[in-house]
Amino acid sequence: MKNNKIGKVLKKEIVSVFRDKKSLAMMLIIPLIIPLIIIGMSALFDAQMSEDAGNDYNKIGFSYELSAKEQEILTNLNIEVTVDTEDNLKEKINNDEVYLYITKNENKYTLNYNMSSDKGGYASSLANNYLSIYKEYLQTEKLSSNNMNPTDILNIIEIKETDLNTESYFANYIISYAFMFILMAITVSATYPATDSTAGEKERGTLETLLTFPIKSRDIIIGKLLGVTTSSIVTGVLSLILALLSFQFINNTYSIYESIPVTMSIPTILISIIIIIMYSLFISGLSIAIASMSKTFKEAQSALTPLTFLAMFPGMIAFMVGIPTTTLYSIIPFLNFSMIFSDTSAGNINVINIALMIISTIIYIVIVILYIIKEYKSEKVLFGI
Amino acid sequence: MIEVKNIKKKFKKQKNKKESIEFFAVNDISLKAEDGKIIGILGPNGAGKTTLLRIIAGIMEPTEGEVNYDKLNFKDNEIEIKSNLAYLSGNTKIYDYISAYELLKMCLEYYDYPKNKIDTRIKEIAKSLNLENFLYNRISNLSTGQTQRVNIARCLVHDPKYYILDEATSGLDIMSSEIILNFIKNEKSKGKTILYSTHYMEEAENICDEVLMINKGRIIKSGTPESIKKDTKTTNLRAAFFALIGGSNEE
Repeated sequence: MKNNKIGKVLKKEIVSVFRDKKSLAMMLIIPLIIPLIIIGMSALFDAQMSEDAGNDYNKIGFSYELSAKEQEILTNLNIEVTVDTEDNLKEKINNDEVYLYITKNENKYTLNYNMSSDKGGYASSLANNYLSIYKEYLQTEKLSSNNMNPTDILNIIEIKETDLNTESYFANYIISYAFMFILMAITVSATYPATDSTAGEKERGTLETLLTFPIKSRDIIIGKLLGVTTSSIVTGVLSLILALLSFQFINNTYSIYESIPVTMSIPTILISIIIIIMYSLFISGLSIAIASMSKTFKEAQSALTPLTFLAMFPGMIAFMVGIPTTTLYSIIPFLNFSMIFSDTSAGNINVINIALMIISTIIYIVIVILYIIKEYKSEKVLFGI
Repeated sequence: MIEVKNIKKKFKKQKNKKESIEFFAVNDISLKAEDGKIIGILGPNGAGKTTLLRIIAGIMEPTEGEVNYDKLNFKDNEIEIKSNLAYLSGNTKIYDYISAYELLKMCLEYYDYPKNKIDTRIKEIAKSLNLENFLYNRISNLSTGQTQRVNIARCLVHDPKYYILDEATSGLDIMSSEIILNFIKNEKSKGKTILYSTHYMEEAENICDEVLMINKGRIIKSGTPESIKKDTKTTNLRAAFFALIGGSNEE
């Protein structure tokens, strides 16, 4: 009988969300921001990388005259050459006309550039490459003139490089940020129906009507909580689906994901759904608890604003600082959801941490429900007296 | 029968940022409402009528005292009592994002009405209250009078034994008030118990079998309208009330 009453309150709450244009918009439109963020960030990264890989940082100055061979190597490397005096080249570095200049004293070459600048760093790698080719040319010439086979000497050992990195910085970044925005979308989506079903009902005078029905306060609260949670889960799952579709799109569109595409494995998707459900329950409970204390809809919305920030920051900080998930962090609300997702998406599925996150969240929800039930006996909460 | 025993309700009022004062909105009120009777609760705004009726309807807990419905009390029998109770107040509003039909269906579901009889019951009520023309319209699109009729239908739909009506005609036009007064008289004739609060003394005089006059949370006089007028040597309840409070009413 009791569960039946909870179900009836839940049905009323769901009808309320689906009939209210604003609640519906919050639930369905907010997820549309996720693809915009993912595609927008990818476009920015791609543009940045294209710029880095472009010819902009290939301007190198020389304070000495170049031989025909040197000029040939420089042309092959697509290096833009400026030959001038050292003083003039120094000034050109300050004006970004060259990013590095090379001085020469007999057989000693010096690379002069701003080591703290990205452009200088890129130009230095180009200059080193050029000098290495030129050095190899001189060595070959010298060995040949002494009737020695340069291949035998120069390639006395062979060096091969294998890239063992299976992770892409951009792919990780995009996935982690996308998930944080999914959590934020859930938070925003939970606050509106939570406000409407508590402070809103009080303000409209329908809460008093609801209290006259033969339903225990506890069942009303659980019904409302499940109603808000359902709406939040819809937002979360919809956001996740849109994120996955966006990943497909960016993998096919942007060259930065060519070698390592942005993907979420099946376990990551499943754990993401578990996190979305737990987070939706948690944030819905908190939103209802806070909104219940307010007399009016407006007051409740103001009271809930800090929650939106609180929901975002711990996860963001953990992601930026790169803190590993521990047993303690697994039970810290807000932090645990983001950290466990990051671990899972990196392929580290820690069952104990996931279980701790679920159990601790259930405990927090029970505490929040008990608190709201206690408060729902207070005249201040029910009637604003 | 509804029996109210020594009900007290204490509230805290914030005097300023640091100080708060406690006061009794309802102070030691007892009453008995027999079946088939309309008991009027009269008093000015702020007298404690709404608080008293909220306590009797079980939506607010008393600081002291108890309320019994045919020997059942709220502590142990909240669901059973509320299943036989209808509460209508000037403050209570109905959900306007659904149709009258959906609202009545929702109410019947809350009252655990048999599923297969819900549709028949709604149509029966719609016919008796003349809701048929707008039964499937959204409540937000109805006029005040139509909404009030839907609100009455909400109260009636589960055929309750007790009615608690708090300022139910307050702020309504003559036509809408008339609908409610006719509904009250009709339910009385069926042997239902009705508690009816109002600050319209003439209205109470016309429909109540007994009245309780309350001021500042206390009963200042109770009895039939006739006996009160006789005791106060007045010709109407309004004059009787002023005679009892000494000609003025300091809030």
